[in-house]
Amino acid sequence: MIARVRTLYGASPLHLLAVIASFAIAGYAFFRLAGTPTALQTFIWFAGAAVAHDLIAFPLYSGLNLIARRSLAGPLDNREEDRRVPVVNHLRIPVFLSALSLLLFFPEILGLNSSNYADDTGLGGDVFLTRWIGLCAALFLGSAVVYAVRLRRVARDEDEEEEDGGSDDRPGAATEAGSGTDDA
Amino acid sequence: MRLPRPNLPRPKLPKPGFPADHPPGPTRPSFWRSPLRGPWLTSILGSALAPLILVCAFTGFLSQAAYNPALGNNSLLPGGGLGVDLYFFSWPTSPSFLYALTQGVHVTSGLLAIPILLAKLWSVMPKLFEWPPIRSIAHALERASLALLVGGSIFVFFTGLLNIQVFYPWPFRFLPAHYYGAFVFMAAFLLHIGLKIPVARRTFREQGVLRPLRADLEHTEPEPYVEGHVAPLEPDRPTISRRAMLATVGAASLGAGFIAASQSIGGPLRSLGLLAPRSTQLNDGPNGFQINKTLAKVNLTRDDIGPNWRLVLQGGEERILSREELLAMPQHTYDLPIACVEGWSTTQSWTGVRLRDLATLAGAPGASQVLVESLQKGGALREVTLSSGQIADERSLLALRVNGVDLSPDHGYPARVIVPAAPGVHQTKWVGAMKFEAA
Repeated sequence: MIARVRTLYGASPLHLLAVIASFAIAGYAFFRLAGTPTALQTFIWFAGAAVAHDLIAFPLYSGLNLIARRSLAGPLDNREEDRRVPVVNHLRIPVFLSALSLLLFFPEILGLNSSNYADDTGLGGDVFLTRWIGLCAALFLGSAVVYAVRLRRVARDEDEEEEDGGSDDRPGAATEAGSGTDDA
Repeated sequence: MRLPRPNLPRPKLPKPGFPADHPPGPTRPSFWRSPLRGPWLTSILGSALAPLILVCAFTGFLSQAAYNPALGNNSLLPGGGLGVDLYFFSWPTSPSFLYALTQGVHVTSGLLAIPILLAKLWSVMPKLFEWPPIRSIAHALERASLALLVGGSIFVFFTGLLNIQVFYPWPFRFLPAHYYGAFVFMAAFLLHIGLKIPVARRTFREQGVLRPLRADLEHTEPEPYVEGHVAPLEPDRPTISRRAMLATVGAASLGAGFIAASQSIGGPLRSLGLLAPRSTQLNDGPNGFQINKTLAKVNLTRDDIGPNWRLVLQGGEERILSREELLAMPQHTYDLPIACVEGWSTTQSWTGVRLRDLATLAGAPGASQVLVESLQKGGALREVTLSSGQIADERSLLALRVNGVDLSPDHGYPARVIVPAAPGVHQTKWVGAMKFEAA
């Protein structure tokens, strides 16, 4: 019996029971919302959330990453500094953190919530754009400082090795970064 | 120096019903190149994410309970909610910071989760395009549930995120959509973790829980390709180590969480949460703390709250009191928080008349509940029903003053309710009438 269910269904009977239980809970919520006047719009936004992430946001940020990596792999990758300390993450990480903070707080950063915000709180909401720009500046500055420190450290290590008579043809991960055609 | 391509058997042909070959593009395993993707990365992200989602959901459902939805018109759900939405306990009044804590944890855990959620979704993206799209009934149902999981997670987090910034670009009411969206999300989520915990355990057994974190960029190797799973068939060379990627996601998570926590904990942290919606206050004066809705927002004018204002008390008998008469009653002072559903809170020193004294005055000592009506004309929260426990607590006040001065118009002058541990929207401002029900 169980073997027949497995063949017909494609998984164990327990899987089927768990799936039914899950859909029953989701179905309860669906029918509770279905009675509201804006049910259709709610469902459209729900489906739109998945579409916006999977088919718009994901291809967009993957594409931007790909373009960035390809363009960095060209001019910058051939520079001596970049072979020693790849710059790609020193750009990618502050860009990621800046973009994510914008994604999380875009209504107040761009002032889209301004009428509600001012009426509700009695405060002016115009501070957030300045603060966000300051945050971005700090992220890029911090990344640049770390990059400079790493460059100096590599240069010093090489000097020391030359003084010790060591060869400088050792393999390094640094030479490998910045190329390739990764999707993210 | 290119990594050798793993020598693997050709993928099996898909079952009849779908074209034998993968169509060009993302359905082909060779399309996905990131060397970081694989079961270990997904498992570690999932292990970090799942507890945050459970905490966020639990505190979210507690917030619904905090409205005492079984009383009066307190439930903000369509039709007043059904049985399972109503909860079976009366929201307590102690500790007084209870709602500040649960709702602060709700919003903070949500913000902590979002960066990890986005990384987790990135890590499993090849699964969206798996080929053939359907292998069996079980597989079809599981994918349908995954659609609810992804749609539900983005929908619930995004609506919550916009609500804390009082931005409503949608035509529906926030609360029912967020609440029932969470039901759908949690239904799919519980199924998902039930199915995936064994997979994560196996992965951790094989690869170690933290062992891949030891690898720097030079030693970052792709996870082994298995057909139908997320590790790449033809990986590129890594440009970032797994630990650097996870550190970046972790930093984003902690940063977002800090912003949320700063406006909940308050004090010196508040002004450090630069992007927190309630990171600033009006001024340093006794009425300078954060406001949920201003007088102007609810269309009240200073005439409405002027010298002609009277409080109507009903119970066994009707009493009409002026503010001077209220001030002549015994006054009590307590430090209590106002805690908003949006996850911010602030503790102030409130002075006023005990609700239980007002119940006695209205001829309903030990009242079983009270309907508190605001002067504001509209809004779902212009009237609120408080429980017998909330009336009986000695710290529950009809506050007339704050921090030693009269309430400001925006903070509810002439009188507002302050009940320990109650959600901010139940601490009705501009109170016009209180209708007690005798025990």
